[in-house]
Parts: sequence; structure tokens; C-alpha cells
Amino acid sequence: MPFVCNFPFFSILLSLFSGTVCSMLPAKAAKVVNRTVILAVGLMSSVLLVYLLSTGEAFIYWMGHFPAPWGNEIRAGVLEAGMALFFCIIMYLSMAGGAHKLPGEVVESKHNLYYILVNLLLSSLLALVYTNDMFTAYVFVEINTISACGLIMIRQVGRTIEAAVRYMIMSLLGSGLLLFGLCIMYDLTGHLLMSNIKESVGLLMANGEYQIPLIVSVALMCIGLCIKSALFPFHAWLPDAYGYSTVSSAAILSSLVSKGYIFLLIKIIYRVIGFDIFNSTRIIDVLFVFGLMGMIFGSISAIKENDIRRMIAFSSVAQIGYIYMGFGMGTQAGMVASIFHILSHAATKSLLFIAAIGLTDVSGGSRKFFDLTGAAYRNKWAGAAFTVGSLSMVGIPLFSGFISKLLFAQAAVQVEGKMLASLIVLGISTVLNAVYFMKTVIRIYTSAPDAPYKGITFRDMKAYAVALVFFILLNVILGVSSQPIVDMIGQGLAMFA
Amino acid sequence: MGPNLLANYGEAVSAVLFCIGFTNLLLQTNLIKKIIGLNIMDSAIYLFLAEKGYIAGRVAPIVVNGVTSTEAYINPIPSGLVLTGIVVSVSVTALMLSLTIRLYLRYHTLDLDEISTQLKKEGK
Amino acid sequence: MYLILSSIFFPILAGMFLLIRYRTPLSGEKNADRKALTTLTGSFLIVTAALVVASLLTVEEGFTLFYLTKTLPIYFRIDSIGTIFSLLAVIVLLCAGFFSFEYMKHEERESRYYGFYLLIFGVLNALCFAGNLITFYLFFELLTLSSMPLVLHSGSREAVMAGLKYLFYSLCGAYAALFGIYFLYRNCDSLTFTAEGALRASAVTEHGGFLMVVAFVMLLGFGVKAGMFPMHAWLPTAHPVAPAPASAVLSAVIVKAGVLAIIRVLGMFGTDFLRGTWVQTTWIVLTLITVFMGSLLAYREPVLKKRLAYSTVSQLSYILFGLAMMNGSSYTGALCHVLAHGFVKAVLFLCAGAIIYRTGKTRVEEMRGIGKEMPLTMWCFTIASLGLIGIPPTGGFVSKWYLAVGSLESGIPVFDVLGPVILLVSALLTAGYLLPLTIHGFFPGADYDYNMLQKKEPCKWMTVPVLILTILSVIIGLFPDIVINLIRMAVTG
Repeated sequence: MPFVCNFPFFSILLSLFSGTVCSMLPAKAAKVVNRTVILAVGLMSSVLLVYLLSTGEAFIYWMGHFPAPWGNEIRAGVLEAGMALFFCIIMYLSMAGGAHKLPGEVVESKHNLYYILVNLLLSSLLALVYTNDMFTAYVFVEINTISACGLIMIRQVGRTIEAAVRYMIMSLLGSGLLLFGLCIMYDLTGHLLMSNIKESVGLLMANGEYQIPLIVSVALMCIGLCIKSALFPFHAWLPDAYGYSTVSSAAILSSLVSKGYIFLLIKIIYRVIGFDIFNSTRIIDVLFVFGLMGMIFGSISAIKENDIRRMIAFSSVAQIGYIYMGFGMGTQAGMVASIFHILSHAATKSLLFIAAIGLTDVSGGSRKFFDLTGAAYRNKWAGAAFTVGSLSMVGIPLFSGFISKLLFAQAAVQVEGKMLASLIVLGISTVLNAVYFMKTVIRIYTSAPDAPYKGITFRDMKAYAVALVFFILLNVILGVSSQPIVDMIGQGLAMFA
Repeated sequence: MGPNLLANYGEAVSAVLFCIGFTNLLLQTNLIKKIIGLNIMDSAIYLFLAEKGYIAGRVAPIVVNGVTSTEAYINPIPSGLVLTGIVVSVSVTALMLSLTIRLYLRYHTLDLDEISTQLKKEGK
Repeated sequence: MYLILSSIFFPILAGMFLLIRYRTPLSGEKNADRKALTTLTGSFLIVTAALVVASLLTVEEGFTLFYLTKTLPIYFRIDSIGTIFSLLAVIVLLCAGFFSFEYMKHEERESRYYGFYLLIFGVLNALCFAGNLITFYLFFELLTLSSMPLVLHSGSREAVMAGLKYLFYSLCGAYAALFGIYFLYRNCDSLTFTAEGALRASAVTEHGGFLMVVAFVMLLGFGVKAGMFPMHAWLPTAHPVAPAPASAVLSAVIVKAGVLAIIRVLGMFGTDFLRGTWVQTTWIVLTLITVFMGSLLAYREPVLKKRLAYSTVSQLSYILFGLAMMNGSSYTGALCHVLAHGFVKAVLFLCAGAIIYRTGKTRVEEMRGIGKEMPLTMWCFTIASLGLIGIPPTGGFVSKWYLAVGSLESGIPVFDVLGPVILLVSALLTAGYLLPLTIHGFFPGADYDYNMLQKKEPCKWMTVPVLILTILSVIIGLFPDIVINLIRMAVTG
């Protein structure tokens, strides 16, 4: 086995241990360690991705010396490596873009704690992406929850603590359901490794045994992960958690944490239950309906919202609805569209959060809609970035959002029963998105003659502006040259089987 | 249905307990009661696992008196899972309790809804 | 290839340069270096126009810029229909652009205006040169976005609401169109434009009925941009709030993007597929309603610019009516009216702008004696009015003649006669809402105080563009052969 195959293990371990190291370092050094680790993991993932693309086969890596079905395993394919790389990019940019807000919002002595949490989050995300073992997945889901909760409440104001508690409660409900479903699955199949479970599930289905417990178990796992990834109607915790935490946290939470759970769900669908068996259950219809409802109600809540950060947070609810709608179509094309939307939404939403903070900063810190009048003139970079993010969300060609909508529509056209519903809801949601995002864009570009706030220039915010530029580039790349990425997703899904 | 339920009464109890814990965690407004609900829910799952892992007449997989036949011992994996799960749930409970203390110190109440009302009044 | 690309991207880049280079002044301020700004914009406009003309003159194969996804190329090609629209765009944008240099003196935030003006120029070129539906859609969306700042220009509450309304309607329409594109994509071999229909024969036989619905939805969707009933309400709100030269561009050129879109869609489905179906009938009914209703609303409207916007609603549906009749003569008439209406409406809006600029009057009843104050402007206004009504020797007569002939030839029961009748009634209404201005303008009546009279003729930066456009609108009428031949070429391919 070539040396590259150690990389998934290394990257999980590296981020885990660097977290421990950070606890003993002063804030500045911790920051350097944190950035280096994210870069290193990103680099390793990209090497791994190149290697996997050249071999064209996924590999399995034993953790310890026990072979399946006893040992614990890591599995890496194109999709896993690509996801890991993408998570690193988004995380690095979010950290860079939000770094200037940290001193104002987090007590100086706790900065290194912040970096610990970020490293821990990265390691748990990587573990969720790479693991081949269901119980390991559960453990890292909990670690992910804990570190995400820490990221929310590291900014100590009343709202964030309350949001953290609400987030914790919903997450624990979700992970409780996940664990229960997992135990039933273990009970039915006698295995914890994904590949082994899949074999047994296939046998059970073929013999027609234990159908109901099997479906119950799958349903429990699905609902658990849906709650954790804030699918409508389980989204009540989301606006406060994303709206009031420090900006890097909000960007990371919205674009990565929920996506980690969704990726785990995809793995469960493909690697544990089997795509065809999953699609033969009624669960996908339920996901489909909730996805559609999320798309509409999320947008409506966003329209009613007067606070720009909460508005962006509510838009996440709608976007997660899109992803579940793709699952609900029950076709390969729908799945590819959903995975592409995971990427595109992550790139766009973190951009929006980071840009919004630039706008609120030059409006006296207020995030009320009317106080933002003319903010784009005071901070040109943030204004431009927010506009790009909004256009992408609305689905204007050349940006990533258009491609995901295109993929969703193409997938929908192939599904007879769900075609009209999904296309119509896609249309309504596009228009609703346009209403609140374009309203905001117009507002920030309406000049305010008597605004008392000072503008900000490039020299005051180099790191911030550079991060924004990279975010914009990422969006445009996803929007313009989507084909290689879509191909890669298809290849990765083929490796899942 | 009847005989199955009787034979698997342990699992049935754990499912009932799970539901009780789940509802408590979801619906109680008092934070401490929520945490108790969380613990009931987790314990129910561990009960379920332990119940599934136990085979009547066998003993825990610790080699005593030189008996090495697998027939003599129960499956160790569920027990391992329970142990891991307990660690997780303890840490989560600790985190929840610390959050609860923070909220209590700020708002002098354990009622989550009341905290929300106070937050809205603050208007931040 | 490079000519086409540069005629698209040069103005876009130039516009962005202006937007970035000049800090947008806060309201109340003016751009300090006005002169440099206008010189720069003017030269950008001329270079762009030269590039467009050059690319129209060189015969080129289509080319693919890049692939959006594997089967969706961004593809450009110049064909004769594109040429007609592109000519219109270049002439009107140039004239209105030079007109703006004087007009914009009394408005704020000039650099932003010119920046977006150039952006629109580039996007319009791309729209005319687009070779397939997906490229077209891309620039159609960008056109909405880049023209919105012109509607929003004054920044007043009214303008913002109008801008939002414009955006909302346009996006709804564009999405309806996109909905259709998905299905076309499934049922066509490629999305490259043709005039003969690109649907697979098997698709037509299998789900022809459903494809009819798709065609109808696409027509309605793109019809939003062309102000077709029932989605016309944005147009009279959005167009008048923009600065006058921008209204001219919006009314004369940008709404034509909707017409171009419908021509393209019609080509994709093929007229044979739609002729004689419920789609055609409903479409004709909708256009006739729009023609009549637009004129009626214009007749009742007291504010000049709004009156002109309503008239745009009505006149655009003349074009759509011609397309809906689906025969050679009506099609010729429609294309001819694209040009005629483009020039005429630009003149009317620019004249309205000149009046606002010199006198500040916006309502029709205030304009008594305006012809004495600004004779040249009002002469142009009058000639343009005659063109819109359709009195020879103006362009409007030629196009309406062909429209009526096409309608009578079509042999569609009821509508072959009803169509021309309604066109005629609407023309009378047009006379009713435009000519009073001329009449009261030149003959203010006995009680008019001639001692108050001041010459208020605007400077040549304003009059020359208006004159050029007026002359062009007359030339179409005097020498219809040139235009008709060009159009024949487009019809036969």
C-alpha cells in the first residue's frame, strides 16, 4: 500500500493532536498552528485526491491490526478526498475572513481555546468523511456537536449561550435517534462496519426478513441526521446560532457542520443501506416533501427577517431543503445535484456571512436592514462580495448557484411523479430568494447622505479582502467550470457502491 | 406480537424509556429536567445494547480459570459500545450542565422559554 | 471570434472600469471631473460601436467560448436576426448616450450611470450574438440585472419600489423561460438556434401536448420582458422613473430583448409545430388585448413619460401580434416594427427628456406652447408621433402595412379581420394621445401669453442625437426596400 494511503489517518490525527497542542500555546502561536494544520490537511487531501483519480479505485485502511469484520476502518474514495479538500478550503477562508472580528468578540485569554475548537471540529469532520465504521461515526458526530456548540458560545453574550443550549438540545435529540437506529441496525446485522452491514442488509432484504425493524432503523438514522442538519421543521435553533456567534463560527457552522452530517447521511444511504433499497422505502418521499417545504418556508422566514445575519441564516434552511429535495428524487442525478449543492451552498453561504460582517461593521455594528443603507459604498469589497453571493443564491448564470439549480432541474425532469412539484417549488423559491437578497443588495447600494459612519479602505482590511476575493473566485469557478467537479462527484458515487 | 414482546421485554422497556427521555428532552422547559431526559434517553439505548449483547448462561468476556472457548462468554462488542457511549453522554451532560449554570447566573432562571422572553426584552 | 468577443467584453470591462475608477459620489455631490468622465465614456461608446459594426461586417463562423457543463456550450454566432437587433441597439445606445452627456448634468451619480450604461451595451451585444438558448438566457438575466441600476438611479423610494417590481417580474418571467429550456434541452438534439424547429420528431409525437404547454409557458415568460398582458404592469412603473435617456434605451432597446427571445423560441419550436394550435390562438388574443389596453391606458395618462411607457406596452404587442400570425408578411412587419418603434420611441423619450431638462415640466397639460419654446424638439416629436401612429412616409406605416397584410393573408378565422381592426383602433388612440401635445404645443390658443415666451431650445448635444434618430425613422419609411430586403434575408435565412 503506497504511503499516500496513510493521509486520511494522518489528517484526522494531525488536527486532533494540534488541538491538544494549542491548549498550551499562546493565542498567536495557536493561530499559526491552526492555519498550518488546515493548510497541511488541505494539501494532503489534494494529493490524495490526485492519487485516487489516477488509480480510479477507493481503498480501505485498517485502523489497528484487525481485519474486517472486527477491526475499525477508514475508507477513502474520490468523493471523500474531494470533500475533505473542500472543507479545508472553506474553513481556511472563513477563518481568514473572520479573524479581525475575534479580538472584539472573544476574550483575549480564550483565543487559543477557539483554535482548539476549530481544530477539533476539523478532525471530527474529517472523521465523519473518512470513517467506515458506524459507531465511530456516532462518536465523531458527538464530538462535532460539542465543538460546534463551543464555537457558538465562545462569544459570551446571552443570545449565544441560549442558542448554544437550543442547538445542543436539538443535536442531542438527533444523535439519540441516530444512536438508537444504529443499535437496531447492529442488532439486525451483527456488524458495525459499513461494508459488512450492507451485505447483511442485502441478504435480509432478499430473504424478506425483518423488514419493519430495518425500515425503522433507517428512518431513525435519517430523522436523526435531518434534525442535526436543520432540515425544516427542525430548524428552530438555527437562526440564533448562526446569527449571533462570531463570524468565522457562523460561516463554518452554516457551510461545514451541517454539511458534515449530510455527507454522513449520503454515506449511510450508499454504503450502509444501499441506494436501491433506500429508494424503495417511503422515506425518500418524506425527505422530498420536507425538502420542498423547507425551500418555501425558509425563504418566507428570511423575507420577514429584519436582521441581515438572521436573514442569511434562514436562507440556509431553504438551501438545505434543496439538498434534501435532491435526495428525495431517488435518482443518481438527484444525488449528484445535491452533492454539488453542498459545495455550492457552502461556498456561497460562508461568503455571505463574511461579507455581511463587513457591511455591519461600517454601519455602526447594527445589522438592522435599514441601518445598512449605503454600506456597500463604505466597504466596497464587502459590498461586491455580498452582491456576488446574492446573485449566486438567486441562481444567476456564471455563479455556482445556477449550476446547482440546473442540475436539480435536470434531475427533476427525469422523475415522472415529482417533476412538476420540484420544478414549481424551485421556481417559487428562486423568486423568493431574489426578493430578499436583491432587496438587500439594493439597500446596501442606496446611498445615504446623512450616514454618520466612516468608510473603510483596502489598507485597513487586507486579509479580509483577500479572503473575500478567494471566496468570489471559488464561486465563479464552481459556476463556470462545473463539469469536472460534476464528473468527479459521479466517479466518487460510483466508488461508493 | 404477544410472545415476541414477552420474549424481548427488555428491548420493549428500553424503547419505552427512550421515548420518555426523548419527550422530556424535547418538551420540558426546565433545563435540569431536559438534562435528566437526555440521560434517560441515553441510558435506554445502553440498556437496549446490553440486553442485545447478553446471552443467558454465559459470563462477561474476561478469561478466568483458563476457559478459552468462545461458547462460554458473551459478545464483548456491545459492552464496549456501551462504555464508549457512556463516556460520550457524560461529556455531553457536563457541557449541558455548564451551559445551564452560565444561563442561570445571567438570568436567574432555569426556564428556557423565560430566558428567551428576557432576551427578546433586551432586544439584542 | 476576437471581434465578437471584444465587442462584448470591451464595453463590459470599460463599464466596470468606470464603476471602480470613479468613486460614486454621495447624493448632493457631483462628479468633480465631469469633462474627463464624459470624454472617456464617449470614446468608449464610439469604440464599442465600431467594434460591433466591424463584427457585423466580417462574416464569421460561430464559436464556442467555453462549456458551462458538458452539453451546454456558451456559443456565439451572428445571424441576420441578430444583426437587425444589434443595429438597432448600437444606433439607439450611441444617440441616447451622447444625449445623456448634457442631460445628466442635472442628475447625480453620473459615473454609476455611465458605468452601467456601458455594461448594458456589452450585454446587449452578447444577447444579439448569442448562438444558443443557454447563452441567450445567461445574458438575458444579466441584462435585467445591469439595467436595474438605471431604474434605481434616483434612489428615491418610488424608484426602489419600481426597481424591485421590475426585478420581480423579470425574474418570474426568466424562470418560466428557464423551465421551458429544461424541457427543450430534453427534447432537442441541441439548443443552437434554428428557424425550422429543433424538436425531435419522436418527442413531438410522444408528448406533443405537453410541449405545447411548455411553449406557451416560455412565450409568457419571455413575454414579461416585452410587456405582454397579463405581465405588463412593471413596464409603466419602471420605465418612467429612470433618467430620460435611460428610459429611451429601456423602452426602445431593452424590451426588444423579449421580442428577440420570442423569435428565438419560436424558431426552436418551429412555426409548423405551433400553427393552428390553442397556443397560437391564446397568444393572439393576449397580444390584441395588450395592444388595445396599452393604448387606452396611455390615452388616460397625464404624465408624459408614463404615457410613452404605456404606448410601449401597446406597440410591443404589435410586434408580438405579427410574430403570432406566423406568416411571411406579418413576420416582416414585426421585424420592421422592431426598428421603427425602436427609433421612434427613442426620439419620443429623448424629447420628453429635453423638455424636462429645459423646463422641468412632466405633465401633458403643462406643455401648452412648448412648440414655440422648443420648436426643433417638438418638430422631431411630431414626426415621431406620426411614425408611431403609422402615417406615411414614416417607418411605422410600412411596418403596420405589412402587419395588416400578413394578418389578412393568414386565414385564421375571426382574427384575420379582427386583428387589423384592433390595430386600426389602437392607431387612432395613438393619434389621440400623442397629437394633442403637438397641437397644443404649436397652437397654444388665444389666451397664451406670448410675452412670456423664451427660446429654450437645448444645446446641440441634445438636439443632434434626436435629429439623427428622427431622420432614421423617416428613412425607413421613405426607402423601405433597404430594410425589407434585410428582413427578407433574415426570414429566408
